[in-house]
Amino acid sequence: MMEVLRAGLSDLVMDQGRAGLGALGVPTGGAAHPAALAAANLLVGNEEAAAGLEITLVGPALRFPTGGIVAFTGAHFSVKRSKGGAVVWNETLVLAAGETLTLEQAEAGCRCWLAVRGGLKVPQVMGSRSTFLPAGFGGHKGRVLHAGDVLEIGTTTDEVRLFRTQPPSSVERNGPLRVVVGPQANLFDDTGLAAFFTGVYRVATASDRRGLRLVGPDVTHSRTELPSQGVLPGAVQIPPDGQPIILGWDGPVTGGYPVIAGVIAADWAQLAQLKPGDAVRFVTIEAEAARALSVERWIIEDWT
Amino acid sequence: MQNAEKGLESKPQTDLLSSHPLWRWVSERGLLVATGEATLARYNILFSQNLPEVEDVIPADGCLLLVLRRGASVSTALREALVSPLAGSQETVSKLHDIVVEYGGALGPDLPVLAERAGLDVADYIDCHAAAEYTVAFLGFQPGFPYLRGLPSALHAPRRASPRVRVVAGSVAIGGAYAGIYPADGPGGWQIIGRTTANLFDSRRHAPALLMSGDRLRFVPT
Repeated sequence: MMEVLRAGLSDLVMDQGRAGLGALGVPTGGAAHPAALAAANLLVGNEEAAAGLEITLVGPALRFPTGGIVAFTGAHFSVKRSKGGAVVWNETLVLAAGETLTLEQAEAGCRCWLAVRGGLKVPQVMGSRSTFLPAGFGGHKGRVLHAGDVLEIGTTTDEVRLFRTQPPSSVERNGPLRVVVGPQANLFDDTGLAAFFTGVYRVATASDRRGLRLVGPDVTHSRTELPSQGVLPGAVQIPPDGQPIILGWDGPVTGGYPVIAGVIAADWAQLAQLKPGDAVRFVTIEAEAARALSVERWIIEDWT
Repeated sequence: MQNAEKGLESKPQTDLLSSHPLWRWVSERGLLVATGEATLARYNILFSQNLPEVEDVIPADGCLLLVLRRGASVSTALREALVSPLAGSQETVSKLHDIVVEYGGALGPDLPVLAERAGLDVADYIDCHAAAEYTVAFLGFQPGFPYLRGLPSALHAPRRASPRVRVVAGSVAIGGAYAGIYPADGPGGWQIIGRTTANLFDSRRHAPALLMSGDRLRFVPT
């Protein structure tokens, strides 16, 4: 089991999400950078689809009364082990019975993923263990973790092996977000398009897993509301005030604002690490080129 | 040598497959297809075919969004499913739901203003709203939130200038030409005219959403 001694800012049980329920109004959700959580799972001998913890900006203090095999991927957080020793990212960590991991702030970026051997055993809701905060279901009681929570961990009898990995170079990329020109780009005049594609935006504090709100040059356009259309994470909507919103993992499945662009799947890794105050720029890419980039390979090395 | 030949062939073919005058892309994974009145019929075809490259299909107002799996392109089979002529009659048996509503008062704070706007007294407004038969066009905004077609045109009303921070679950609402019902507590910009105790979405139910696209609905005053 895993005890929460102190909660972080927003500790959420996540897996690869519940795809295929858009017609019910339910977004896929799941880890903001699915491949990073999948890799963390492989480092502890789990299946990629196992549930772990998504930790945002300020991490929790966690106690493992009977020990555990864990791994971190994603942004580096400052963290201490109660029994001393370094906590290295992207490799298998063996915790002794009663050990505590105390996470503080993210050193850079926004989110990390913690996998625990056996996986976090919360009930499956509609085929997934991911927390969906907007409607309060999935994960641990449909909410963020609180101090005092105790989470069950699955059991596995496989031999323990030590693994390590290095994030693919695409994950470390730190340039403008690559976007495919969106379905309503034609509703914007040259001034609006120029503002969007050359402007520098900042991530606003009112951002969360539903959407990243940006502050910067106004993207002007003539029509404010359209018939509702399906949308997906990464779609960049322009509401009437002209300030872009990048839809997030728990965003609505339909929307009525014009979509000027869509962030490509390969750059979800970067989206997941954006925090309030960060600068954001956009650059266009063709859909075919984006597809070639979209499958991310983490090579897992056994160094037992 | 064989591979090289395949490569040469497949490039122009892929471009051809992924473009169509009625298609637009939302990033490289979202194919937005204008489907007009045939949205539900086309949705049913895609749902039944369950093509491996399609991760999700989201119906909305006269269009479908197909979410492709990472790295996937439009296959010949998918293109065929999207452009094939629809069979003549797509009549399917749709469920009819009776949704009991308590109109007005604290549960429907926008009712008096909407009635005045429509030039009706409150009782007539309620009669008009409850006399219509509605069809679920699609679900969106929140899990299980129905966009209902069939609102009499006299009752169309713009969304509130400033959205409410908290709308209570079960609130019966009007947004433009649509009627709707909020499944869960949360922020919302539609005009609220009443409330139902029907549970529109329950993640623990076998069928979590009470209403599905194509279902019909009547509002029954308490």
